[in-house]
Amino acid sequence: MSCDDNHEARAKDRARRSLPVVGGDRVGERELGSREPVAGGTGPSQGPENNARPLPLWRSIEERSLLGPHPGAANEFPGGAAELDGVSRRSFMQLLGVSTAIATVGAACRKPNEKIIPFVRRPEETTPGNALHFATAYALEGYTSGLLVESHEGRPTKIEGNPAHPETIGATTVIEQALILGLYDDDRAKQLRRGGEAIAWQTYLADVRTRGAKLAEKGGAGLRFLTGPTTSPLLADLRRRILERFPQAKFVSYGAVANDGAVEGSKMAFGRPLVPRHHLAPAAVILSLDSDFLADGPEQTRLSREFGARREPSRDMNRLYVVEPAMTVTGGMADHRLRLRGSDVGSLVATLCGLLSGRGLSTLGPVGSLGHGQGSWDPKWLVALCGDLERNRGRSLIIAGRRHPPVVHSFCAALNVALGNLGSTVEYGAPLTTDATSGTAALGALAEDIAAGSVDTLVVTSENPVYSAPVDFKLAQLFKRVPNVIYHGLYEDETAATCNTFVPAAHALESWGDGRATDGIVSIVQPLIAPLWGGHTEAEVLSAFVGDGDLGTHELLRRYWRGMAKLPGNLAGSFDNVWERWLADGIVPDTGAGAESGVTINGQALAQAAAPLLARSGAGLEIAFAIDPKVFDGRFANNAWLQELAHPITKLTWDNGLLLSETTAKGLEVETGDVVEITYRDRKVEAPALIVPGHADDAITLPLGYGRTATGHVGRAVGFNGNELRTSDAPWFDRGATINKTGKRFKFAITQDHFTMSPDGRESPPPAVSAPLAEVLNAGSMFHEELEERRGPQAVIHQPVDYSGQAYKWGMAIDLNKCTGCNACVVACQSENNIASVGKDGVGRGREMQWIRIDRYFTGSPEDPEMINQPLGCVHCETAPCEYVCPVNATVHSDEGLNEMIYNRCIGTRYCSNNCPYKVRRFNFLDYTGDISAARELGMNPEVTVRSRGVMEKCTYCVQRIERARIATRIEGRTIADGELQTACQQGCPTQAIVFGSLNDPNSKVSQLHTDTRRYDLLHELGTRPRTAYLARVRNPNPELAKGD
Amino acid sequence: MAAPNLSHDPLGELPLIEGTQTDQTINDSLLTHVLRGAGKGWWMLFGCALSMLGLLVIAISWTLYKGIGVWGNNIPVGWAFGIINFVWWIGIGHAGTLISAILLLFQQKWRTSINRFAEAMTLFAVICALLFPLLHTGRPWFAAYWLMPYPSVQRIWPQFKSPLTWDVFAVSTYFTISLLFWFLGLVPDLAALRETTKSKTKRFIYGLFAMGWRGSGRHWAEYKWAYLLLAGLSTPLVLSVHTIVSFDFATSVIPGWHTTIFPPYFVAGAVFSGFAMVMTWMIPARHFLGLKHVVTMKHLENMNKIMLVTGMMVGYGYLMEHFIAWYSGNPYEMGQFFLTRWHGPMRWIFRTMMFCNVVVPQIFWLKRFRTSIPVMWVAAILINVGMWCERFNIVVTSLHRDFLPSSWKDYAPTWVDLSLFIGTIGLFSTLFLLFLKFVPAVALTEVKELRHELAEHDVVAGETHA
Repeated sequence: MSCDDNHEARAKDRARRSLPVVGGDRVGERELGSREPVAGGTGPSQGPENNARPLPLWRSIEERSLLGPHPGAANEFPGGAAELDGVSRRSFMQLLGVSTAIATVGAACRKPNEKIIPFVRRPEETTPGNALHFATAYALEGYTSGLLVESHEGRPTKIEGNPAHPETIGATTVIEQALILGLYDDDRAKQLRRGGEAIAWQTYLADVRTRGAKLAEKGGAGLRFLTGPTTSPLLADLRRRILERFPQAKFVSYGAVANDGAVEGSKMAFGRPLVPRHHLAPAAVILSLDSDFLADGPEQTRLSREFGARREPSRDMNRLYVVEPAMTVTGGMADHRLRLRGSDVGSLVATLCGLLSGRGLSTLGPVGSLGHGQGSWDPKWLVALCGDLERNRGRSLIIAGRRHPPVVHSFCAALNVALGNLGSTVEYGAPLTTDATSGTAALGALAEDIAAGSVDTLVVTSENPVYSAPVDFKLAQLFKRVPNVIYHGLYEDETAATCNTFVPAAHALESWGDGRATDGIVSIVQPLIAPLWGGHTEAEVLSAFVGDGDLGTHELLRRYWRGMAKLPGNLAGSFDNVWERWLADGIVPDTGAGAESGVTINGQALAQAAAPLLARSGAGLEIAFAIDPKVFDGRFANNAWLQELAHPITKLTWDNGLLLSETTAKGLEVETGDVVEITYRDRKVEAPALIVPGHADDAITLPLGYGRTATGHVGRAVGFNGNELRTSDAPWFDRGATINKTGKRFKFAITQDHFTMSPDGRESPPPAVSAPLAEVLNAGSMFHEELEERRGPQAVIHQPVDYSGQAYKWGMAIDLNKCTGCNACVVACQSENNIASVGKDGVGRGREMQWIRIDRYFTGSPEDPEMINQPLGCVHCETAPCEYVCPVNATVHSDEGLNEMIYNRCIGTRYCSNNCPYKVRRFNFLDYTGDISAARELGMNPEVTVRSRGVMEKCTYCVQRIERARIATRIEGRTIADGELQTACQQGCPTQAIVFGSLNDPNSKVSQLHTDTRRYDLLHELGTRPRTAYLARVRNPNPELAKGD
Repeated sequence: MAAPNLSHDPLGELPLIEGTQTDQTINDSLLTHVLRGAGKGWWMLFGCALSMLGLLVIAISWTLYKGIGVWGNNIPVGWAFGIINFVWWIGIGHAGTLISAILLLFQQKWRTSINRFAEAMTLFAVICALLFPLLHTGRPWFAAYWLMPYPSVQRIWPQFKSPLTWDVFAVSTYFTISLLFWFLGLVPDLAALRETTKSKTKRFIYGLFAMGWRGSGRHWAEYKWAYLLLAGLSTPLVLSVHTIVSFDFATSVIPGWHTTIFPPYFVAGAVFSGFAMVMTWMIPARHFLGLKHVVTMKHLENMNKIMLVTGMMVGYGYLMEHFIAWYSGNPYEMGQFFLTRWHGPMRWIFRTMMFCNVVVPQIFWLKRFRTSIPVMWVAAILINVGMWCERFNIVVTSLHRDFLPSSWKDYAPTWVDLSLFIGTIGLFSTLFLLFLKFVPAVALTEVKELRHELAEHDVVAGETHA
C-alpha cells in the first residue's frame, strides 16, 4: 500500500465530510428542541412554552429564534464573538500558520498533505458544528417506521424515532438504532458487476433494455421478480407499469419472517385476507400466544409505548398472559407465563375457546369443541385466564405470534370478535403490502417455475433469499439454472454468489423512497447522504424495466406523487410546497388506512376448516425456529453493534445457541457449551447447546440469522445456520428432531453468566426489586417497609455536598416496571457515544464496552422463572467511590453532580473500576478505534471524544447533549425546561422507562419519580448516593393464580 | 569449658560463627566467591536467569505495543497479576529492611551474617515490584510522570486522596532508603575488595564505589552514625510501606478489600514472605558459596522462628477477616469470605493459601524440623507460593464477585501474565547472581566486628572449644 493511496483515500473522506453530499431537495431539518412532538403532541415531555399553541414549523435555529419569544437571540454570534474566548482570530491564524508550517516540514508518510476546502459559500441551512435533523423512514418488513436522523455536516450520525410518526412516537427499535453502523459498513458491496466483470450503471441499463425488449416480445413470459414485502406506493406503481409492459411476468414477494399466518388466518375466520392491528391502550388483559409483540414486528415500538403506559401501578394496570415455548422479551414482562411447545398452542387456544363458550360466549362453541380439553398445561391457569378475559370483554386482547399457522390466528380472531375486542383493542384492515403474503407458498411456486425451466430472467430484490429460504427449495442450485439473475443487495452475500448481475443496493439512509406504516400512514424516505459506494435503490433496478432507469429514485418518486389525482392532506400550495412539508414532517397526512367494517365470523365454517389443520401433530422432540432479536433474519449479521449486543434473554453475544430447557438437557445429558448434532428430516446441523430458563420441555429452539457464509468480515462464520434444517412446510415448528452429542465443546461469549440475584446463595438485598400489585398498593406492606430502607438519607460523618444552589441537579429514574429489556437503549448509547465494539474474544474476556447494560435476573424455579430487567449505566454517585481513588484526578465531580471522566488525563490504573460497586466503568484494554475504516469514522458523533487505548470510559449522562441544550437555552436567555433534554438511552426507549432531568426542579418528571413510593437506590447501603434511582417492578398476578394458593 | 555459658545469647545455643576464625580467614572465605572466576554452576544459573529475563523483555514489549489487553484482566477484575506481583515482590523486600534495621536497633547479633544478603534481596525485589505499577496502567508513558507531584503546565496535581498516590511516595522512599542503606553497608567491603583485587580495572571500579574509604577511626565513627541513622529511618518504613500498599485495598468499598486489619496483616505477611524468600536463596547460597561458617544453623533456626510467628499473625488475619465478615452481618462480606473464598471458582487458590501459610509453618514448633535443611527449604518455598496465593485471593477473588451478580466474571491469566511473573523472577535472579558475583554476599566488616565482639566476651564457639 503506497503512501499515495492513503492520501487519496483520506482526501476523499475529507471531501465527503466537508461537503454537503445529498442530491435533491432534502428538506425537514429540525434542531434539538424539536425532539418533542411537533403539533398537538400528547407527550408529557412537552415544555410549558409548547403547550400554548401548536408549534410553528421552522427550518433552522435562526428562523426558530425569530419565531420564538426572544427575537434578540437570533443574533447567535454577535460581532467580535470570536475575540471573546481569549484567542483572537488574528492570533489564531498566526498559530495556524505556524502549526501548518511545522506540520508540512514534519510531514512524512503518516501525515498526508491534506487540503481542506472550506465552504466558500456556506450552504443554506448548514452551520458547521450544529447538527441538523431530518425526518425519514425505514421499512424492515415492508412497513415503515418514522425516523429522525441527526446529521453533522452531511454525515448522518444518530437515529431517533420521529415523534410525529404514529408507529415510532419518538422511540426506536434496536435494529433502527444500529442502522448507522450498517450505513458506514465498509464491507458493503460497492461494485455493480456482470459475472465477475465490473460494469457501469449505463451498461446495466442497456442490458436490461435489450433483454427487456426481447422479453416484451413474449409478453414477459419467463420474467420473474422476487421482492421483499413492501408497502411502497412507488414500488407498487412500478410493478403496475412493469406488468403493463410484461403481462406474463410475475411478482413474488418473500421475506424470511412473514405475517402470513395472520393473513391466512383471517381469511379462514372472515373469508377475506385481513391484517390485524393492535391497540394496547384500552387493553386490561392481554394474552399473547407466542407473540413477542414488545420486541418483534412492525408494531413493536408503538405497542411497547402503549403497554408501558398501562403498567403504572393502579387498579387500571394491565395484566399480561404469555404462552410461548422459549422466553422472549414479552414473556419476561408477563404476569403469568405458560411455557408451551409451539405445536401445542393450537389446542390450547381451542380449549380456551371451549372454556369461554361455556361461559356464555356461545359463538365460540363450534371452535371450542375442537379442543382436547387438556394438554401439558395446568388447567387452573387456563380457567383463571378465562375468567379474566370474560370479565374484561371489550378490554382484552389476544395476539397470536407470527410463527403460528393460520389456524391459531383464526381462533385468535374468533376470540377477539367474541370477546368484543374488535374496534377497541384490535382492528382488521386490508393488507397494506403489495402482496398480501410473503411466506413460503409463493416462493415455492417460483421454485417450481425455475425447476421447470420456464424462468429466463429473475430479478431478486428480496433480502438474501438463498440464505434465508427453506432448505428444501434449494434456491442456490435453482438460481444457477436461470439464464439471467439480477440481484440487488447490500452485501456480496450467499444470493450474490448465485447471480449473474449484481447491483449493490443503496442503504436505507442513502435512498429515496416511500412506504406505509401499519396504519397506512405514508412516509417519504429521504436520503441523509449520497450513496457512499454508488448503490442503487430497488426502484431504480425495477424502473429499468420500464425504461426509466436513468431517472433516479428522487425523480421517480416525485413524478409518482405529483401524478396523484388528489394530493393527500388537501394542502394548499404548489406540489413543491406540499412535498417539502411531507419531507419535513416525515409523514404524509391523511393517508391512514381505515379498518374494514362488517367483519364477521361464521363459527361453524371456521370449525370445519380448522378441524383437519388442528389435528396435525407429530411425535418426538419439537424443533422450533426463532426470529433473532438482534440480526433479525441474518441481514444484520455484519453489524458489530448488534452482534455484540447481549441477547435480551440469554445475554449471548456473537453467536446463536441451540436453546433448550434444563430438564430436556438433563434428559439428553447435554450441558451448556456441548456441541450437539441436530438431526431433522435426514438433515444434520451441529450447534452448541445453551440451557435457558423458562424453555418448554421436549423442545429445542434454533435462532435464525447466523451461520452466514458470505457477508462482511464481521458476520462471517458467527453461529450456526438454522435455515439448513428449515423446510417450507414447517417453517417454524415441527416434531421429530433428534440430538446427539458430538463430544466437542464450544465457548460462548456471554455477558452475564449468572441467572439469579444470588447465585451462590448469599442473602444480599435483591438488586432488582419486584412486588405484586396488591402489596404495592397497600401502603403498609412489607414492600414499602423494605424499600424505605433502601432510599433516603443515611447517617454520615461528612455532610454531603449541597446541590440545591445549582441551576440543575441532574438525575435519572428508571422504571423497572416499564423496562422490557429490549436493548434499544444500549445501542442508542453506543451510537450516540461512539462506543467501540470488542469482538467475541473481547466479550469472552469480559471487556464489552457498552456504557449501559441490561442486567437480567430470573427469580423462581428455572423451569418457570420470572424475569426482571435492570438497565444499569453509571449512576453518578454523589459520593462516588471511583473518584477518590484515581491518582491523577481523571474522574471528578461536576457542580451539577455529574461524575465526569477526563479521558485526556486518564492513565488507566483501572482503580476506579475496581472500586465501582456497580461495575459500570469500561476500559479500553486494547486499541479498539485506531484501525476503524475511514467510512466508519464518518459515522462518529463529532460531539463525543473517541477514546484511545488505555483509557477508562463510562456513561456521562450524555453530557454533550446537556451542553448542547445549555448553549441553546443560554442563547435564548432561559433555562433548560424539563423534557427538553433527553439522554440517548431515554430517547431510544420505546416504553419511556428512563427519565432524565434536573432534581432541583420539583416539578420535573424525574423529581416526581424520585419521590415515588416505588423508588429505591441500588446498593443504597453503601452510601454512594446514586443519582439514578430505580422504581420497583410491579407484577399484576391474577388473584386466582396468586402464589401459595 | 564444661559449664554452659550463661552470658550466651539466650536465643541460641548454636554458634553464630563456626570454626576458628581470624580476620584473615574471614576476609579470605567471604571474598573468595567474588574474587574467583565465575564457575560453571554460576554460568548455568545465570543463563537460566537471563533467559527468564528475556521472557520479561518480550512480555513487556508486547504489553507496551498492544496494550494492557494482552493481559487477562477484565471488568470487574481490573487488577490481577500486575498488582498481585507488585504486592508479592514488595512484601518479599521486607525481610531485608527488617533484618538490617530493626534487628540492628534491637542489637540482634545474629543479623550480621545475613543482612547484606537480605538487603540486596530487598533492593532487587523492590525493583521487580516497581515494574508493575507502571506497566499495569493503560498509558504508562503518562503514568511515569503524572503520578509525581510536580508543578506542570496542566496545573493539575496528583490526587492526594488516592492510595495509589501514597504508594508512589511510600515505595519510592522505601527504594531510596533501602538502596542507601545497602550501599552504605557495602562501602567498607568495597574498600576491602579494592585492596584485595589484582585487576586494575576492578580496583578502579571498586575504588570508585568505595568512595575513598580508608578505614580511619573518623571514617568508622561517622560510618556507624550514618548506619544507625539510616536504620532509624528504615524502621518505620518496614511498617509504612506495606501499610500503605494495603491501603490500596483497605480504603476501597469492595468486600474482601474494605478491612481495617489490612495494615498489620499486610506487614506480617510481608515479613513472612520476605523471610521465606531469604531462606529459599540463603540455603543453597551458603552451601555453594561456602558460607556455612558464618550463616550457621542458628541463623536458619532463628529465621524459622520468625516465620512461625509471622505465619501465625497472618493466620490470625485470616481468622479476623472471617470473624468481622460474620460479625458485621454484611451479606456481601459474608458472601465474599464464606462462599466465594471457600467455595467459589477460585477456591483452590484460597485453599492452597490456607495450607501453605497457616498449616505449613506449624511444623516449626518442632526443633527437628526447624533445624532440618530440606524441610525448611521446602517449607520456605511453599510459603512463597502461599503468599502469592494470598495476594491472588485478595486482588482477584475479591474483585471477581463483588456486589451485583450481573457483573461477576471469571478471570484467567494469559501467557503474557505468566511471562511477566516468571520474567520478574528472572530479573530478580539475574540481579542476585550478579550481586553474588561482584560484591561480598556477607558483610565481612560486620562479621569481623562480630568476631571481635564475641571474642572479647570469650564466647566464640570455636575458640572456647579449642
